[in-house]
Amino acid sequence: MTKDPGRSGADARNDAAAAARAAERDRDLSLLLAVLLTLIGIALLGIYWLALNEAEGPRLADLALGLVPRTGVDNPVTAVLLNYRAYDTLMELAVLLAALLGIWSLGPAPAGFQRSGRALAAMVSWVVPLLILAAGYMLWVGGYAPGGAFQAGALLGAAGVIVRLAGDPSAGLPGEHAQRALSVLGVLVFALVGLALLWLGDGFLTYPPSLAKWLILLIESAATLAIGVALAAAYVGGRPATAPASTLASGKAGARTEPTGEGN
Amino acid sequence: MTPESAFDSAALDNLLAAPLVLAIMLPLLGSALTTALPRLAPLLGTLIAVGTAGAAIWTTVAVWTRGPIHLVLGGWDPSLAIALRADGMAAALVLMANLVGLAISVYALGYFRAPDRAQSFWPLWLLLWAALNGLFLAGDLFNLYVMLELLGLAAAALGALTGSRDAITANLRYLLVGLVASLTYLFGVALLYTAYGTLDIGLLSSAIAADEPSPLDAAALTLMVAGLAMKSALFPLHFWLPPAHASAPAPVSAALSALVVKAAFYLILRLWLDLFEPILDLSASMLLGLLGAGAVLWGSWQALRAERLKLLAAYSTVAQIGYLFLFFPLLAATPPGPSRDNLLAALLLMALTHGFAKAGFFMAAGLVQTNAGHDRIDDLGGTAQRLPATTFAIALAGSALIGLPPSGSFIGKWLLMQGAIETGQWWWVVVGTLGTLLSAAYIFRVLSRAFGLEPTPIKFVTDARAEVPALMLSLVSVAVLGLASGPLWTLLGLNASGGGA
Repeated sequence: MTKDPGRSGADARNDAAAAARAAERDRDLSLLLAVLLTLIGIALLGIYWLALNEAEGPRLADLALGLVPRTGVDNPVTAVLLNYRAYDTLMELAVLLAALLGIWSLGPAPAGFQRSGRALAAMVSWVVPLLILAAGYMLWVGGYAPGGAFQAGALLGAAGVIVRLAGDPSAGLPGEHAQRALSVLGVLVFALVGLALLWLGDGFLTYPPSLAKWLILLIESAATLAIGVALAAAYVGGRPATAPASTLASGKAGARTEPTGEGN
Repeated sequence: MTPESAFDSAALDNLLAAPLVLAIMLPLLGSALTTALPRLAPLLGTLIAVGTAGAAIWTTVAVWTRGPIHLVLGGWDPSLAIALRADGMAAALVLMANLVGLAISVYALGYFRAPDRAQSFWPLWLLLWAALNGLFLAGDLFNLYVMLELLGLAAAALGALTGSRDAITANLRYLLVGLVASLTYLFGVALLYTAYGTLDIGLLSSAIAADEPSPLDAAALTLMVAGLAMKSALFPLHFWLPPAHASAPAPVSAALSALVVKAAFYLILRLWLDLFEPILDLSASMLLGLLGAGAVLWGSWQALRAERLKLLAAYSTVAQIGYLFLFFPLLAATPPGPSRDNLLAALLLMALTHGFAKAGFFMAAGLVQTNAGHDRIDDLGGTAQRLPATTFAIALAGSALIGLPPSGSFIGKWLLMQGAIETGQWWWVVVGTLGTLLSAAYIFRVLSRAFGLEPTPIKFVTDARAEVPALMLSLVSVAVLGLASGPLWTLLGLNASGGGA
């Protein structure tokens, strides 16, 4: 989106007029939106009041709790996410992937922050391993207490954010190829487990009770890595720099100007 | 993971489940593979596109031979788990979406020649495809919300692929409107869950029918339909559509206009017919019809005034979606029976025809744009000589958009007007006629510019990979859907009494 250096003044004036028109159009639009949203907000308040006063209807909680022993996990939330409604969770991982691919499609990542000073670097070298350890704990504890892949992945993502803030432009993530492979790991493992079960005759995403615990753990481990990488890569905010190995392999990537060897 | 390989499984349930599951999982796996192996993206993407279209055809054949398919995933109680379902209406739309999707994939092979553009396109496009199939086949209100989010996110990212400032502005707006819309829908879902304690569409349907109509139902209906109307660009909530669809790369514009908007409309229709039929009265349908009439007139008028070919096509989408909403008051006023069945089939026929025709139109417009370097309608002179096959595709798709015989939309509009006269709602006939005249005007305006006084072409097709998909889609919209629309009635499981053709 570089400007053409040889543009005439008339072009610039036309652009300014067009920009003014666009701004006016945007103002009209935001006014319309504001009115609409206010009306919707008033309506929502009324409905909320109504729903509060309505007699309480039936719920699924009893049914869901009663069947938890057959799901392979002890935590009801994990049972809902990874067994009763596993298909939803698979698609939520796909939503995360879509967001990351959208960010990557907009261009290469901006430069990172300057290197951290000694005190910050020392603290980062303390906090990041702890975060990774805590992520592993969260993943395991999800089987019987609050926790699981999304929480563990969020901790991993936070570790990546801290590493980037401390000056590593790649947020501690591996090269492009590994990053691409890791970011799709959750969707890939989840979908393949589902299809394998369909193939074996159990039905799509229908875990046999004896294997349920281990299949869920496998899916959750893959999902944790994928979520962690996706969140950290989203914070980096652009396509990853091509790894040095592939720079040698393809002539085109040589034209890029990203510095290589930033990881040391 | 070919569709055939799943035949090995013994259980009948699994055999029934396989095509539905594969139609959603194949593009999802394809998206993961094309992300992980970016250099093989075009090859892998094409293979997956063929496989997905195969799974969709298999789904349609299964519904055709066995009737509606309903399956609960995970082997749990239906109220606890998520259901997939495919009936005639879903199967017809899945078939249309996947054939159009296959054509878009072939076209994209030629359109995205730069490797990094292709690497960005394929994974997002396959995610969009998975979301579309997932949406058409879903039987659970919350699962539909997840699909809507995936669809909206992938669509906005694809629309911004050109990277120009206009495209990014328009698609960021599209993304934000889409988020507001899906949250509005989700609020409606939450209200229904509060009242009935289930998210399964089939169970909810019987629960709502058994209960007395309550204000909570009405509020949920309003919220869900309002959110989806925003997503389907129903007038006057269409403001985001023209810039977003006109600034996207041509294969993406085709997918957005032909499929994504249609998916939101399909959901409104499903909610209207499956869930809220018992609590609706004529006035609610009348409101949708009025907004549809506004869309027909305003969209066609703006299309007539558009200076660029792709903007014209985008406004034409606003108008064509309007026609679909005109059917609601007629459906509400017609008692169950053959004439109502005919209206429903006509509605679907118009949606399918528009899907094929608009995808073909956008793809042809994209070729004109790459060939001439612009798509200003006034400077299109000589296009017919340079790109004869593409101009033919525009003319064919245009005649389907107008509703000239023998296109599918001719039969659709005929039955629409017949229904309007039978139910005494003559004013829709006026709207339909005016809209048709305006659309004839904007299509012929393009065609009159495209033919110039230049020598006759030597070759009809200049670039087969790019031109043939557009031509095929336009041909389907005119010839196949028009002359052979009878099977649609059978697929819908209706009395093939009217037929029209």
